[in-house]
Amino acid sequence: MDVHVGIPRAMLYHEFGNLWTGFFQNMGIPVTVSNETNQQTLDRGTMLAIDESCLPLKIYLGHVESLLPKCTHIFVPRIAGYYPDFFLCAKFAGLPDIVANTFNISSNKLIAPNIENKSLFTELKAIHTACQALGVSKTSGYLAYHQAKKSWKSDLLCPDSDPKIAVIGHSYLLKDAFFCRDILNTLSKRGIKTITPEHIPGKILYQESAASQSDIYWQLSAKIDGAVRFFSRQPDICGIIMVSSFGCGPDTIKRIYRTSYSEEQQ
Amino acid sequence: MQVTFPHMGYLNIPVFNMLTNLGVNVIEAPPITKKTVELGSRYSPEGVCLPYKINMGNFLEGIERGADTLVTVCGAGKCRQGFYNTVQKIALAEKTPLQFHTINTSENLFKNLYVFLQTVAPNASRFAIVKNIALAIKTLTALDAINNAKNYYGARTKNADTIIGIYNNGLYQLGQCRTFQEVNSKQTNITAQMQAVATDGISQPAKVGLIGELYLLLEPYINHNIEDLLIKQGVEVKKFVYTGDYAYSQIILRTLGLYNEETAYLKQARPYLNYHVGGDGLKSVGTALWYTNHHYDGIIHLYPFGCMPEIVAQYALKNISKDYNTPMLALSIDEHASDVGIITRLEAFIDCLKRKQKQ
Repeated sequence: MDVHVGIPRAMLYHEFGNLWTGFFQNMGIPVTVSNETNQQTLDRGTMLAIDESCLPLKIYLGHVESLLPKCTHIFVPRIAGYYPDFFLCAKFAGLPDIVANTFNISSNKLIAPNIENKSLFTELKAIHTACQALGVSKTSGYLAYHQAKKSWKSDLLCPDSDPKIAVIGHSYLLKDAFFCRDILNTLSKRGIKTITPEHIPGKILYQESAASQSDIYWQLSAKIDGAVRFFSRQPDICGIIMVSSFGCGPDTIKRIYRTSYSEEQQ
Repeated sequence: MQVTFPHMGYLNIPVFNMLTNLGVNVIEAPPITKKTVELGSRYSPEGVCLPYKINMGNFLEGIERGADTLVTVCGAGKCRQGFYNTVQKIALAEKTPLQFHTINTSENLFKNLYVFLQTVAPNASRFAIVKNIALAIKTLTALDAINNAKNYYGARTKNADTIIGIYNNGLYQLGQCRTFQEVNSKQTNITAQMQAVATDGISQPAKVGLIGELYLLLEPYINHNIEDLLIKQGVEVKKFVYTGDYAYSQIILRTLGLYNEETAYLKQARPYLNYHVGGDGLKSVGTALWYTNHHYDGIIHLYPFGCMPEIVAQYALKNISKDYNTPMLALSIDEHASDVGIITRLEAFIDCLKRKQKQ
């Protein structure tokens, strides 16, 4: 069977999806992204996962399972942080291990680069790992990555200044229509404009969060926290909807923070 | 200034001594009871892990008794524990004005501890501070040693209750010690007493390894006295999580650059976990493999409900248990866990081990 890479449409795919697919496609390797989440993905994921896992992780495992029969390799990066002084939660740090243990798949079927910071060295090492797993030349890997990164960066869009509602939550909740019952579309069908943290450059959000609370070390939480602070100061935002998933560790403890902050603002 | 701190097993004994020896006024929070748990839960976010709620309960009860300065630790690798202090500070400040000190364990622990002691005891000499830190570590390791001895001898006699009695008395005695020699001689004395009791019995008891989250393994009220329950059933218990060990390796060895917990356990946990997953996850998997390699009869995994690193560890533990054919019991504990529920499951698990041993 020829090399065929599968990428689960879950977790950080919703942030880096285009970069990842672009990278493999530029090397001429066929890529399959799993289908949109549906009831079956959730059911299978719930069966496979340890009961107490958070919902996004269960869904992730459901996606991986759907890819296994079709693909020779599954792309499961370990992303433990990509902004200085921040970490991702334990589930991200253990993702390749979780997948390997759940499906008992050998490590050469997993493409699992380890990303712990944003340095060039880490990027090169990650490309190296991916190329080695696929048996492709490293040079073509670097070129493919460079190209993919360039087109990925130009994807960011600019919001207008009409009144709108800010919907804040992890990108893997908001962009998964099944997961959050498609809040964004429901609102836009009623003619309500929305904005999510995705529309604001990450750097602004991290700075916003670090300015008031330098001790948050979860990267995605810091991003959400920054978004709450940022949006509650914007005149064109008329309200904020917070979305979080059951079993999300960082979110349980961060709620006090955010409530205390929005009370201050009122 | 009246200082209080949260409980964790017998950690309060040396910490109380260290602070009072340096002339700090300490108001000890009452031992953890049902009231502590309820009080803590009422003032905590609902989904947060159990140790947070208990810490909160301790603080509130300490404040009730008149404490105005709180001390806690933070920084244990990338789990919610590292964030307790910040959120607790906000939540408690709503009630009353307080001073809040945090000792960060992920950086140089010795330095952080020293700086903290200097702030609360400005009149103490440098020598007194260093000496009291050393004495506290010494006492902690002695407490660990008698705990270890209790778990070893208690399983080898029919009079486990006597051994537990000696141990509890030993905790008090070690709390009274003021010099290194005293600690040493008390420790030898207590161990000898236990040894003298355990002359009747079983030479090869079933062996169970405890793994899991630090706080749950160390605080007997929260883990429903699991160690005593097991030794009373004639099962030897071993655990790798000890405060004395931790303090020694973190304060002395790591400060000298001789020890790195992460690399040590990473080596042990392969191939089931290949990366650090935060908290004690790596350690749980590493020690589980140690137990299986040393032919333990069973493993008990204790963790607070919803603990992120331990859930990641569970994925690996499930496979370890299957691959090595070692029975494993996972106990996920929150404030609603009841004694009866835990005891029933433990008894069933022990029955299963003993039957397997006979085959």
